[in-house]
Amino acid sequence: MSGFNFINPFGVREDPGSFVGDRYTDNFSRKARRDTIVLNLGPQHPSTHGVLRILVEMEGEYILRAEPVLGYLHRMHEKMAEVKTPWQFIPNMGRVDYLHPISWNWAYVGAVERLAGIEVPERAEYLRIISCELNRIASHLMWWGAFVMDLGGVTPILYAFEEREKINDILQIVTGSRLTLSYFRFGGVSTDIDDRFERLTREFIPYLRERLKMYKALVTDNIIFRRRLEGIGPMDLDLCQRYGATGPILRAAGLAYDTRRDIPYGLYDRFEFDIPCGPSNDSYGRYLLRLAEVGTSLDIIEQAIESIPDGPIKIAKAPKANYKLPAGETFFAVEGGRGQVGVHLVSDGGQCPYRIKLRAPGYSNLSLFAEAAKGTLLADAIAILGSLDLVIPEVDR
Amino acid sequence: MFKAIIDNLKGLYSLLVGLFITGDFFLSPQKTTHYPRKVDDPETLKSYRGPLELVPADNYGNGKCISCQMCVRACPGHCLTVTKGDKGKEPKVYLYDFTLCCLCAACVESCPTGAIRFSHKVYMVAPTREALHLDLIADLKSRATKIDPMGTKAARLKVAKAEAEAAKAKADAEDAAKAKAGPAGSAGAPA
Amino acid sequence: MELSLLSFVQIIIACLLIIGLMVGNAVIMVYIERKAAGFIQRRPGPYEVGPRGTIQAICDAMKLLGKQLFIPGNVDWALYFLAPVLAFLPVLVLFLPIPFGKYLTTLQVDDGILLILAFAGLGVISNILAGWASNNKYGLLGAARAVAQSVAYEIPMIMALLAVVFLTGSLNLTAIVERQGTWPWEWNIAYQPLACFIYFVSLVGETNRAPFDLPEAESELTAGFHTEYSGMGFALFFLSEYANMLLVSFVCATFFLGGYRGPILDGFWWTFIKAYAVMCVIVWLRWTFPRVRFDQLLNINWKWLLPLSILNLWVTAIIIKFID
Repeated sequence: MSGFNFINPFGVREDPGSFVGDRYTDNFSRKARRDTIVLNLGPQHPSTHGVLRILVEMEGEYILRAEPVLGYLHRMHEKMAEVKTPWQFIPNMGRVDYLHPISWNWAYVGAVERLAGIEVPERAEYLRIISCELNRIASHLMWWGAFVMDLGGVTPILYAFEEREKINDILQIVTGSRLTLSYFRFGGVSTDIDDRFERLTREFIPYLRERLKMYKALVTDNIIFRRRLEGIGPMDLDLCQRYGATGPILRAAGLAYDTRRDIPYGLYDRFEFDIPCGPSNDSYGRYLLRLAEVGTSLDIIEQAIESIPDGPIKIAKAPKANYKLPAGETFFAVEGGRGQVGVHLVSDGGQCPYRIKLRAPGYSNLSLFAEAAKGTLLADAIAILGSLDLVIPEVDR
Repeated sequence: MFKAIIDNLKGLYSLLVGLFITGDFFLSPQKTTHYPRKVDDPETLKSYRGPLELVPADNYGNGKCISCQMCVRACPGHCLTVTKGDKGKEPKVYLYDFTLCCLCAACVESCPTGAIRFSHKVYMVAPTREALHLDLIADLKSRATKIDPMGTKAARLKVAKAEAEAAKAKADAEDAAKAKAGPAGSAGAPA
Repeated sequence: MELSLLSFVQIIIACLLIIGLMVGNAVIMVYIERKAAGFIQRRPGPYEVGPRGTIQAICDAMKLLGKQLFIPGNVDWALYFLAPVLAFLPVLVLFLPIPFGKYLTTLQVDDGILLILAFAGLGVISNILAGWASNNKYGLLGAARAVAQSVAYEIPMIMALLAVVFLTGSLNLTAIVERQGTWPWEWNIAYQPLACFIYFVSLVGETNRAPFDLPEAESELTAGFHTEYSGMGFALFFLSEYANMLLVSFVCATFFLGGYRGPILDGFWWTFIKAYAVMCVIVWLRWTFPRVRFDQLLNINWKWLLPLSILNLWVTAIIIKFID
């Protein structure tokens, strides 16, 4: 007991100035030059959209090195899948990515259907497409507002919320919730649409097209906004492919790769829509591309709502909560708002799946940040981070 | 040089356009719903998923539940507790822990008799965690519009059965009386 | 100027009134700003406290007063507490030569604008001290930004004001107002539109308001130089920010918008109406535009505003020479 310190029993360092930080900070600072600042951006920072933490080494305001630190929002979704029956895991998929939950619904339900060989009725496929595209628009609108807020414009996010509320109202009719939607079931969807859903959707399409013009005048054409983004954070095709980036980032870099077109699922091959590609691989290009994608989604919804067939919304013997998957292995990918969402499912024929791997697009997209942020100003790094459209729950899963 | 000047003048014009847009919104009506004074469109509440409730089978506060435990097994959050009663299929206890519920509708969809559904209680608040541990049978009883004089459903069914038997016996007695009166009477009755 | 006992008493009373004006202005501007933000964003803004939220700002001030004075670890506490006080004090001096009405000036000095410009530079010292003393990296970056920005934007501001001084031939603010007529086309804004524009842009930069709010850029530096301040320390920074805004708006009204002279009934109300109109425009800008980047901010200043203001000064001087 001779060395026991009664005042400081747990051995906390007495001089707070000598406190360096945790293991990440220590490792990162060891490589830093002596004349630079190591700054912890996050996990509580206004523009990291949740609890992302980025370590940056700065010389003045220029970033020399950046390193994202993950895991502040890890919720063991992959492990949870191993202790829940396939049906019980569906609500989890609404929680992985809270901005585009329907894509995750589809990826998981699609993987189970592919493994079990379940055919989905035609009407259900149409409902899946309509809800997925509506949700994609909501996700892009939310990103639009948050991105402009990262650049200092506080007002546009509240305009984006007006439209998002309308989409939430529409989706609430069929899903019953407004954020963590779990609408898909094995072999169909949970509820059928009614007249109100159709009416609101039909009203919404021309309304949003008008509003997009306002968005263009208020933000896209704004000189401050353009000068902040043009030429900032270029990510060329080679870089994107090395890191496995998908979605709008890859398409802005010039490769028109879209899962809806290249690995068709559902009934997407029945609809006429173009995959926007380009115009440039900088932040402004990614911004323009996402707004163009909203137009694409509107086109798909317009065609689907006009040609929706009658019929059942679920197969007759839909799997219930105690459904056992046949043994096997499968992979199913869909196009989410942020890129390719994939579910790799392995089953050994037991009550619960043996293993599930969730492929989150945000995780791959975030890994581009360290490369793109090198040598930029702090404000530019924030703009690049915003243009990646990260949802931290999805990155950490 | 001149190009830069023209670009900047165009930029200044784009700033003016932005000012006019926000100025226009400044003067236009607000879009928010002022919650305590104004409530949302009741149309949107029809699909709202509030805490679970039992579906009433009649006006006496009786449900359709047959205590088959399908909902308990389907629930991913383990938020339901259903115990079978001493006699009959009616549950004695139907407890529901709203703090664990993820409103996924697994129970509603797996119920063979359609005994549970989502309520539309949007404005529900709870001062404590315990207040969210709901007793659904008590809730169902509180929604009954008629008071059941017999107490339980089984007792009422018994009485109903006895009444039906008495009525049948009476009808039989009448039939027998008619048969006694003459065989022609019973033959002509259906016409 | 002779400092008699009477003028001394006069200055004391005026200073008390100015402190009242500053506090009242902060309360009113917080309300105006939040209401304007609300209406632009299509929501009601403050609504619950008082009739239509009118006493919301007072309640906020009470809350800030009641908060604990929190000192983070390893701060230089003397500088840490000196900084907010230093931000607040020079503003008092700045209001002395402002002519609210024809005879409603605290201190009638011949070099009024010189006094204002000399003391306006003191405000940035408090920002440096706050950023440096609070031992925070965000604070340090914010302080560095504040210095560069404030130094840069003072120059075109002075140049723009100098053009008006050339026109008037006096540094006295009352004389500058007296030279302007009563109708808008007789004000200096009609003679010096470019100088007015340059002055307006620099005043937004000088007072650290959006889109030039780099020292406290929320999405980059969390809160910039006042990151570690809470309670009364923060409130003093807040107060001085609004007081600075009021001051530059008064200077704008005096130099370009005819001061206390108006189409009907000259008087101090015209000064206030004009100054608050300028402030409303500043608020409007804030809720419309995204923030510029720091190098762009300096580029706007050194590459556009400064050459333009020199050109403007030069043309003004030539015209005055030839007309005389």
